[in-house]
Amino acid sequence: MKKLMRKIVFSIILALAVLVLSAVLGSAKIPLANIPGIISHKLFSSVLDPEIDKLIADIFWKIRLPRTLASFMVGGALAVSGTVMQSVLRNPLASSYTLGVSSGASLGVALVIALGISLSGLGSLLLPFVALVFGLATVLAALGISSRFDAGLENQTVILTGMVISLFINSILTIIMALFRQHLQRLVFWQLGSFSGLNWDQLMIITISVVPTVIFLMTYSLEMDLMSFGEEHALSVGIDLKKTKLILIFLSTFLTGASVAFVGVIGFVDLIAPHIVRKIFGSSHKIVLPLSFIFGGTFMALADIISRVIVAPSELPIGSVTALIGAPFFTWVYFSRRRSQDAGV
Amino acid sequence: MLEFKDVYAGYNGRDIIKDINFTIKRGESLAIIGPNSCGKTTLLRAAAGIIQHRGQISLSGSAIDTMKRRDIAEHIAMMSQINHVHFPYSIYETVMMGRYRFLRKNLFGRPGPQDIKIVEETLEKTSLMDIKDKSLNILSGGQLQRVYLAHTLVQEPELILLDEPTNHMDVKYQIDVVNFLKDWALKEGKAVVGVFHDINLAMELTDNLMFMKEGRIHGMGSAQELITSTFLEEIYEMDIVSYMVRSLERWKKFEEDYE
Repeated sequence: MKKLMRKIVFSIILALAVLVLSAVLGSAKIPLANIPGIISHKLFSSVLDPEIDKLIADIFWKIRLPRTLASFMVGGALAVSGTVMQSVLRNPLASSYTLGVSSGASLGVALVIALGISLSGLGSLLLPFVALVFGLATVLAALGISSRFDAGLENQTVILTGMVISLFINSILTIIMALFRQHLQRLVFWQLGSFSGLNWDQLMIITISVVPTVIFLMTYSLEMDLMSFGEEHALSVGIDLKKTKLILIFLSTFLTGASVAFVGVIGFVDLIAPHIVRKIFGSSHKIVLPLSFIFGGTFMALADIISRVIVAPSELPIGSVTALIGAPFFTWVYFSRRRSQDAGV
Repeated sequence: MLEFKDVYAGYNGRDIIKDINFTIKRGESLAIIGPNSCGKTTLLRAAAGIIQHRGQISLSGSAIDTMKRRDIAEHIAMMSQINHVHFPYSIYETVMMGRYRFLRKNLFGRPGPQDIKIVEETLEKTSLMDIKDKSLNILSGGQLQRVYLAHTLVQEPELILLDEPTNHMDVKYQIDVVNFLKDWALKEGKAVVGVFHDINLAMELTDNLMFMKEGRIHGMGSAQELITSTFLEEIYEMDIVSYMVRSLERWKKFEEDYE
């Protein structure tokens, strides 16, 4: 227990360190010593230290801090979503993306961009709103079709239906992109994902969407533990399997959908976070879920630092950075675990 | 406590078990025996309310298809064959999960003193206490089955359904587990319905036998009433009694040679 506590404390310290690093690093360097003064000035209207450049204070408060917190929140949300999907569907490669959330969101965004749709009142929130609605609608369609073919909603049916719908939507997306080539760049840029330009209002919407959902999902830890032993087993201990599965899939899709809506399609975090967290902290979801959130958030904040520092003042697409770090890391974690299991240790 | 009345059940619209009628009372056990694909496991799954059925399955007077999953779990626990461990939980965590219907009363599923007491007593009874922190993925098949037995017992059901409960265990554990459950049912006024391939092991659990063939009950009663060459030949299409007698003579000869 003490060992576990030490690991948890270390993870929290690591997360805080990465958050601080993310806040100070970038094309404009922000001295660490200035941060408390800036926060105090912005939050409590205290007088700003004359030695602190006002421009630097504004960059920190209006750009860097919301971006840092948003990257942590989105990373955490994607990681929790992946953890839930892998447990519920008993598949180490399952994620909301498998069920079509990114394809649906991309289709929605493509339609808005290609047809030049605008809705008064939504303003800059139009794309996130459409992406979320289309992403959720796609997964709901996958669940609806699965349920029609298989009343028990078995995992294989859900995964296969999700994949087929994803492929179907991707083909529509390709047609739209071919027909409206003039908008191709904007759509591709959206799909690549970015935290640039995120402000406090958007961070607030992300936080309000993510935090209560993650807490609610944590109340289902026990069900996720039991569902990982198989559907028949979960039923026999008294879980209302179909209802629980629908709730969990919907909520984890919502987490991914809310993230994709604001920052585009960012892969790998949802895939690797659950594997790494389980390797370090064991299997119990009451530990795995909150730690996946912390790990995913830390990983994403780190990837975001790399994306904006490595070719500053330009930026690399965040999705490619997560994949570049994530792919070799995941391969190492996954296969070292399999080797140790094969060796019976 | 469990009653099947004209029950038909199966998968994808095809009936695997047909016209099943029987009743199990508290303190009674039943061993279901039959060749492969005769519908034994399907019968158990129907009894657990896991698959759809036609006809009437009643649990303590209520129709099982009108009951909530958690209410069914108060009466019935199913000990299934789980050969693949998806995540390596510890033995203690796995057994504690068997308390689901009690733990669920707490929002975050936190175990109370009573849950901890019952889990620890059960770990002692099933000889798992000393290895309670070991991970499931390093256990032998026999140890794994004992973990699931403990997991099933802490659910505190009135009836345990055993699907091929002992096929990963050596002979000692097979007999131990069956005797353990027999005592559990007798002492606590509970019931066990088990599926067996081994007729001898089935008789170790109970004298109340059900033989199945091609989805139907072929005979139900005591071993004395049922076990005849003709009856078993109808089911297995071979002379099982002669085989058993030959085996027994072989064992006797080993014993005599040893003496």
